[in-house]
Amino acid sequence: MTMRKTLWDHVFTLIVTLIYIFLMAPILLVVLLSFSGGEFLALPMQGVSLRWFGALFTNSRFYDAAVYSFVLALISAAVNGVIGTLAAIYVVRFAPTRFANGLRVLMSAPLMVPEILTAIALLFFFFEIGIGNRWSIAIQVGHILVTFPYVFLNVASALFNFDRSQEEAARSLGADGWLTFRRITLPSIKPGVITGCLFAFVISFDIFNISLLLKSVGSNTLPLELFDYLRFNFDPTAAAVATVSIVIAFAAVLVVDRTVGLRSLRF
Amino acid sequence: MSALAAPVPMAVAAPRRRLPVWWMILPALILLGCFLLLPYASILVMSFREASTNAVYGPGLTLGHYGEIVTDGFVWGIVWRTLRTGLIVTVATLLLGYPVAYHLARSRSRWASLLYICVISPLLVGLVVRTFAWLIILSNSGLANTALKWAGLIGRPIIFLNSSLGVTIALIHVFLPFVILPLLGNLQAINPEVAMAARSLGASRARTFFKVTLPLSMPGIQAGAILVFVLSISAYVTPAMLGGSQGRTMAVLVVQYLVDNFRWPAGAALAIFMAAITVSIIFVYLKLTARAMRRLP
Repeated sequence: MTMRKTLWDHVFTLIVTLIYIFLMAPILLVVLLSFSGGEFLALPMQGVSLRWFGALFTNSRFYDAAVYSFVLALISAAVNGVIGTLAAIYVVRFAPTRFANGLRVLMSAPLMVPEILTAIALLFFFFEIGIGNRWSIAIQVGHILVTFPYVFLNVASALFNFDRSQEEAARSLGADGWLTFRRITLPSIKPGVITGCLFAFVISFDIFNISLLLKSVGSNTLPLELFDYLRFNFDPTAAAVATVSIVIAFAAVLVVDRTVGLRSLRF
Repeated sequence: MSALAAPVPMAVAAPRRRLPVWWMILPALILLGCFLLLPYASILVMSFREASTNAVYGPGLTLGHYGEIVTDGFVWGIVWRTLRTGLIVTVATLLLGYPVAYHLARSRSRWASLLYICVISPLLVGLVVRTFAWLIILSNSGLANTALKWAGLIGRPIIFLNSSLGVTIALIHVFLPFVILPLLGNLQAINPEVAMAARSLGASRARTFFKVTLPLSMPGIQAGAILVFVLSISAYVTPAMLGGSQGRTMAVLVVQYLVDNFRWPAGAALAIFMAAITVSIIFVYLKLTARAMRRLP
């Protein structure tokens, strides 16, 4: 629209700019302070250095926690990439109409119930069946469960937007169901699968409540380790840890943006 | 539409596949059935179990934990604080989120993609990290107090931490994207020609906004508000890191019962109590907003 800018337009732009700053500033602040040369988490910084990152890589607690979180997130993304995609295909394509809506609600249920309640529920459940917090089973199941809807919803929305006539064309040209699925359907929904898996990975990497209640003794995830560290310490090492996890998240966003476009994300 | 458009059950049609087509949903159903529905039922079971001093729970069943909770003034105090915080956070995120969603929905500039990243990136940064940022900003000698003192606005530092104030500010930041995204989807779906029609018929911009755009975006407001309310009253990390004992919320209290005091049955009852309050509020809210939305033009 080409309208003359009024005073109100400028006021509105100013307000919106301030809100964007409110959204981003705390995160940028953490990143900035991780490069601090001084001992304190305060501005103005006393010089710039990378020493807190150095401290981080020699700190085996944080290193182990990062590796543990990475494995949990990788398994969650891989498992959900398979079962979430299958579930989405079934619900969008094959589910009888009378079940479709109920199934869709059930499949996104882990997102709709508070994570802390799910964590408590799994804590009791795994205790009652005798597994407890052994072998990281409970925590891994919790991570898979909570990140499942991200894959399901992303694949389902890719399937909704997919033009079925291509499949019909393949079928009418003699391709069987499996061939059609492999050569036509799967490539078309691939962006949804990739986005969903990346999201499952990033969210799993950040999950806190599930990990807090279900972790095995002696193995902390990165967010838990940071939480514990901040109870007794308050220095730029924590900011360096935070920066590393921010970089991982942003790398994932960048991959999504470059491969399938950010606006295809479904929350 | 041709006859071919009817759903063709691909997996069944393939001759080498004998499995019925619902095998595809089976793993997901097992995941959600065994590890979501059953565990929620186990909270309920646990909440009726008797407490025990030498085991996780005793052999008998009791309603006693619920009785203790509903007659405990301390618990009610925390319930009210949690609900009050949730309400303030919800209203504040709506007020801050609406302008951003409105701006982003109409933005045609090449910066739009970058601004969109600004909105979703806080979601991708872990809760602990975001709350840690607020710990830096809001501590007694932190950035907020330093800046306010430097500007001559305050003499003594404002106590943000170990109170509901800091928790509220941080939760507003943490949940702002959750209200922007549903609103954005909603505002983008509104046909811009509707507002233009109102303008061309002589309505002022303010009148167009309040009489046309705002009512049309009510579904987005309704969805965003309930999402943020539920998220903020069940939040654990932020109140646990910033609230101390003065800013404790229901979720923090439940975890304290379970982890620190090892009172699982009582903690389970408290969790059910918390869930019951949440569900009743959602129910009343949906009833009220549905009635209000029917009255819209």
